[in-house]
Amino acid sequence: MNEFVEECRREWRRLRVPDPIANEMAADLQADLDEAASEGVSAEAVLGTAAFDARSFAASWAAERGFVEPQPPSRVDGSPRRSHLLAGFAVSVVVAIVGLALASVRTGVSVVQAKPFRFASPPAAPGGKPFAIHDAGVAFPEIGLILLLVGIAGVVLSLVYWSPWVVRIHPRRRPGDR
Amino acid sequence: MAVGESRHTQFLRGVLDLCLLAVMEDGPAYGYEMTKRLRDRGLAIVGEGSIYPLLGRLEREGLVETYRGASNGGPPRKYYRASAEGRRALTAGVSEWRAARDAVDAVLGLVETEAAA
Repeated sequence: MNEFVEECRREWRRLRVPDPIANEMAADLQADLDEAASEGVSAEAVLGTAAFDARSFAASWAAERGFVEPQPPSRVDGSPRRSHLLAGFAVSVVVAIVGLALASVRTGVSVVQAKPFRFASPPAAPGGKPFAIHDAGVAFPEIGLILLLVGIAGVVLSLVYWSPWVVRIHPRRRPGDR
Repeated sequence: MAVGESRHTQFLRGVLDLCLLAVMEDGPAYGYEMTKRLRDRGLAIVGEGSIYPLLGRLEREGLVETYRGASNGGPPRKYYRASAEGRRALTAGVSEWRAARDAVDAVLGLVETEAAA
């Protein structure tokens, strides 16, 4: 069998084109190429530029006949998947809640600051001198405020991407659209 | 020149389905036979892509009917012929093509006259 036809068959197998259909297309193509060769006509004269790209040719033919399953929506347009949006929304809500909690625990922080964490027995420094861990004075309310803002921004972005308005701007492409 | 070839490809891409339906008016034909009919009428498809995917689309859209038939000494082939819907599409498509061609000619005709003068 012609190498071009063989490559087409491999591509149809990869695309899970039903065997009877792939066999039919391969047989027709082989017969046409054989007849052309017997008349001294090149494969390029029969197939055009497709003669140089068997895989694209095979995929295009199978798709036009309707035997290739529709591909999942392309992510080329930059719009995130629904599952990604859902995950982003959930994470944003959690971040916002944590931020809100941290921002509102001023008294709680003071309790923590009243007992700053220290090593029970500080390890010796390379020079032999012990070093102390100083309280960094972690500002929980400020961090909480930042987390709250980040969380709110994430929620807003998720909702914006979810809205039908964005879907109209980034319509999903269907196979065959040009 | 490359621009001209590209434009030619674009022109043909828009009407190759009509050309296929038109050569089927001469009688049912298999793929390579249609290529020969196009070539006999001066339309070589070299560089323009293949007719096979297009035939697949015409079949999927119900514009052609197919059947298996014997060929001259070769294996049985898949023959294509225009369906009733395909003939209607051909008629409508030819009208559209002529209208577009006439409109473009009305614009480009003057340029051709000046170039010839």
